[in-house]
Amino acid sequence: MRARLRGLLAALALIAGPAAAGEAPPFIAVVSQQAGILSLVDAEVGRVVDEIRLPRVPAAVAATPDGRRLFVTHPDLGLVTPVDVAARRAGESFTVGKEPFGIAVIDGGRALLVSDWSADALIRIDAATGRQTGRAAIGRSPAGLVVDGRSGRAYVADRESNQVSVVDIATMQRVAIIPTGRAPFALALSPDGRELYVANVQSNDLSIVDTEAMKEVARIRIGLMPYGVAVTADGARIAVTSQQSGKLALLDRATRKIVVEMKVGEYPEGAVIAGDRLIVANWADDSLCIVELLQPTPSCSRRVPVATGPRMMAVIAPARD
Amino acid sequence: MLERLVIALVLLLFPATLPAHGPTPQRADETLAIPATPDTVWKLVSSFGGIGQWHKLVTKVAATGGDAAGAERVLTLEKGEITEGLDEVDAGAKRISYRLLKENADALPVSFYTATIEVKPAGSGSEVAWSARFYRADTSNFPPDNLNDEAAIAAMTDFIKQGLEGLKAKAGGS
Repeated sequence: MRARLRGLLAALALIAGPAAAGEAPPFIAVVSQQAGILSLVDAEVGRVVDEIRLPRVPAAVAATPDGRRLFVTHPDLGLVTPVDVAARRAGESFTVGKEPFGIAVIDGGRALLVSDWSADALIRIDAATGRQTGRAAIGRSPAGLVVDGRSGRAYVADRESNQVSVVDIATMQRVAIIPTGRAPFALALSPDGRELYVANVQSNDLSIVDTEAMKEVARIRIGLMPYGVAVTADGARIAVTSQQSGKLALLDRATRKIVVEMKVGEYPEGAVIAGDRLIVANWADDSLCIVELLQPTPSCSRRVPVATGPRMMAVIAPARD
Repeated sequence: MLERLVIALVLLLFPATLPAHGPTPQRADETLAIPATPDTVWKLVSSFGGIGQWHKLVTKVAATGGDAAGAERVLTLEKGEITEGLDEVDAGAKRISYRLLKENADALPVSFYTATIEVKPAGSGSEVAWSARFYRADTSNFPPDNLNDEAAIAAMTDFIKQGLEGLKAKAGGS
């Protein structure tokens, strides 16, 4: 355990330089809901570096910008659990709302935003104490959320209201409602903040939202049950998983067309991009599929077994001393 | 008393007033070897409205839209009706995907499910893989025993197992 810990720290130290220069680090945090496990995965070598036991049924995960801490939601327990990455230890969970689901880190890691599935709210909490510091009423069954630091806005997928709520973080007021396809679940933002991509689980498509105009400008047919979405660092490609089709689609941002479609596994859900690598969690396979995006024909070049029921993931940036 | 009756009536008339779906999905996967050819089995599986001919838990089927994506079927089970929609038919891979459109926790204690059935060649016969991803019927944090995750898994697993057995009986030897 200690040796492995030193190994991770050494690896993190090694990649601290390149990451600071703009290259993404390869460590991925994966939440396995059925197993109640958070796996730390080295995507470069394709293996699980360590596993951290969590309280029951963890769902979503977010990392602080320095990569030192993670925060995991447990909707069924009404809890959020902090995780110390270097110590490989879950801290004491705090109670948040009724069914905390989606989560994002704000204010450089000092605060969190959490969507409350059954209270139809976006809640801001102090990351150190778990104390609620703000609350916005939004649509029904809010799921995924993303934050745009530049505009100070959070976008939340109100799944049962078929819309995205836009919330001003400073005032915790909803400033816009954007209708989407049916049952929006996962969200991703283009690196320039100008486009928001929304995976609509029930209408089998991806809504493209213009964040200046605050409206949907395109709806692209994907596959059955789109459940995860990620954008490349240059913003040129958007990756979307479709659970029921077992596939991943890569869209070209400029043409809004699918340029690559591939089978990735059984019920793929979460998708994250770290540098030139795309990582997909296959919920029913208990595995990750790692895709090298620069290959002429991208495919699952490596598969990493993980604990039962992997769903959502976060990319861990290296800690800097 | 009257209040309770009204609540019971509302739940009966509008099962959708239960939370539509919660955050913890479950799954059921079963496979069965069937001595009939894949073509024979596929003919049964791909007839979306024909499930009543081989699934013994299904007493009646009302189907619209044929056997293409977009078709719907209302299944009458012992304790009520559920409605399913056909999402995708891949005749090459002998695979169909469908989903629950209208739930009914009395009939089947699950919500928001999707399922696939795939027929594969195995030796001189077939192997049928049936999998489903679903949520418990009561997705609040304190579901009663008959609407919790265990109840959902048990009911869905039983539905799939009995379906596979029925398919095997109907498809016959070869």
